[in-house]
Amino acid sequence: MHKYFTVFIVSLQNEFIYRFNFILWRVRNILRFLMTYFLWSGIFIANTSVFGYSQNQMLTYVFMVLIVQTMVLSAPSSDNIGGEIGNGDLSNYLVKPVSYLKYWFTRDVASKTLNFIFAVFEIILLWFLFRPVIIFPTNFAVILGFLVSLLLATVIYYLLSACARFVSFWAPENTWGLAFLVLVMIEILAGGIFPLNILPASIYQLLQLTPFPYLVFFPISIFSGKIIGLEIIKVLLQSAVYVAIMVWFTKFLWKKGMMVYQSSGK
Amino acid sequence: MAVISVSHLSKYYKVHQKEPGLAGSIKSLFSRKYYDVKAVDNISFEIEEGELVGFIGPNGAGKTTTLKTLSGLLYPTKGEASVLGYIPWKRQPQFQKQFALVMGQKNQLWWDLPAIESFILNKEIYEVPDAQYKETLNELSELLEVKDLLKIQVRKLSLGERMKMELIAALIHSPKVLFLDEPTIGLDVVAQKKMRDFIKIYNQKYKATIILTSHYMDDVKELCKRVVIIDKGKIVFDGLLEEIVKKYADHKNLSVVFEKELNRKQLEHLETLGGIKEFSYPKLILQVPRENSNKVAAKLLQSYPVADLNIEESQIEDIIREVFTGKNVA
Repeated sequence: MHKYFTVFIVSLQNEFIYRFNFILWRVRNILRFLMTYFLWSGIFIANTSVFGYSQNQMLTYVFMVLIVQTMVLSAPSSDNIGGEIGNGDLSNYLVKPVSYLKYWFTRDVASKTLNFIFAVFEIILLWFLFRPVIIFPTNFAVILGFLVSLLLATVIYYLLSACARFVSFWAPENTWGLAFLVLVMIEILAGGIFPLNILPASIYQLLQLTPFPYLVFFPISIFSGKIIGLEIIKVLLQSAVYVAIMVWFTKFLWKKGMMVYQSSGK
Repeated sequence: MAVISVSHLSKYYKVHQKEPGLAGSIKSLFSRKYYDVKAVDNISFEIEEGELVGFIGPNGAGKTTTLKTLSGLLYPTKGEASVLGYIPWKRQPQFQKQFALVMGQKNQLWWDLPAIESFILNKEIYEVPDAQYKETLNELSELLEVKDLLKIQVRKLSLGERMKMELIAALIHSPKVLFLDEPTIGLDVVAQKKMRDFIKIYNQKYKATIILTSHYMDDVKELCKRVVIIDKGKIVFDGLLEEIVKKYADHKNLSVVFEKELNRKQLEHLETLGGIKEFSYPKLILQVPRENSNKVAAKLLQSYPVADLNIEESQIEDIIREVFTGKNVA
């Protein structure tokens, strides 16, 4: 395990080098938060309830997205699995006794740790600016459930994004666009822009059959008390099943990819 | 038992052809014609412990593909190979801990951090004990004279310095087998020389088995007793470097310096003695069949105003160029 701990430490150092990038990434997150925040605030001037959400509930959701996104949907500034496959840098890892997927997951976690620290400061700042009414769960079990759901969501998202980047094995030239599209789609379908239950019931039901709501929407629902009691357990178990499926699928895709990998570029 | 043994190994790549221009690009979106490129085509060889073997051949001959297959990066299309008793493409950690691949045109160092951070990371990845790590790092950085550069951001290093760091990163786990793919590419002559000296010392001191590919004949001449010449995916020669000379060099060069200008008759007669490779007064290089060299030399001394005469073997570069340009071989 010491291996990956060192990867973690070196990654953190590397993130510090890209501090400007990092700061811009945080600014982007805050800007997006402000955008959705003011959008919903505007809508609630004319309405007291929208799609069954009160103003406080909706603003709580938007606020929570900022936190959950930092944990789940963020990637290291130098995340480049697709590029490394395409230009052959993957070879550097393949000759070593190290797992490429664990390596990048560790780098992901390092980046998230840093993001999380910054997010805490941002949230405190935004809190004082907007003073949103957020209903904190008082039940310890709910907080624990929320944290576990975040952890599982992080793993699911990492594996999803890794799979999206594995496309480089078959199309080394044009993966960035596809990976980008897939990640934006995932963000929307996960509930990163708006709560999913404001969608038409049929679409919402359909989405529940996919792993996406487990990334953002369900964790926030657990936190804000929309999902309670045994339902929480059900969501967590379902997440765990998705982790298992994604681990299997990612390994499967990796093996297929390795068969065609040409270690190009010299 | 041989450390590296390769038997009937082939690697074909599927490549698609794109017709020129934008129309071709659009067409290639919908239908692509694939064809096989035989990068390595049925090669076999064995390498014993401690050998330092040079792979030479033109670009695209299959040298790098062979090294990549032996490193486990590529699955072969056909054939077998074993390195240290392991099948490379199974990528077992026990195997990976015992070899290293250095590619002159690829870097593994973290670009934005000092090289020492990459070394520490490799130490952990290869699970090198602390004491051994310190000793190896100390020794290598002294040999390569980079002790003062360990804490400098890699992007700030010169190409030569970076290449040395790449070598240290690759050797921090003291591999028994080393694949060096163009380790001197892009380096200036002094740096090339240093790199060569280092490779030589490393080979002798640690009994490391090394395969080296290079475009610079100097690398091969100075380092390798045995060479494998690859062309178009096939081995065209495998043996001692000096044997190439014997086998393919059916000519010797007479290098002559004249005392005074030759008259017309002498000039005309010169052509009957052998092939004139180079002639600008007072220097002449005459190519003559190996068995005739003594006779021709005697004739020259007898009837020409010769100040100096040398009988020389053909340059190895020339011979290899001849091998590649299709003079029938093997």
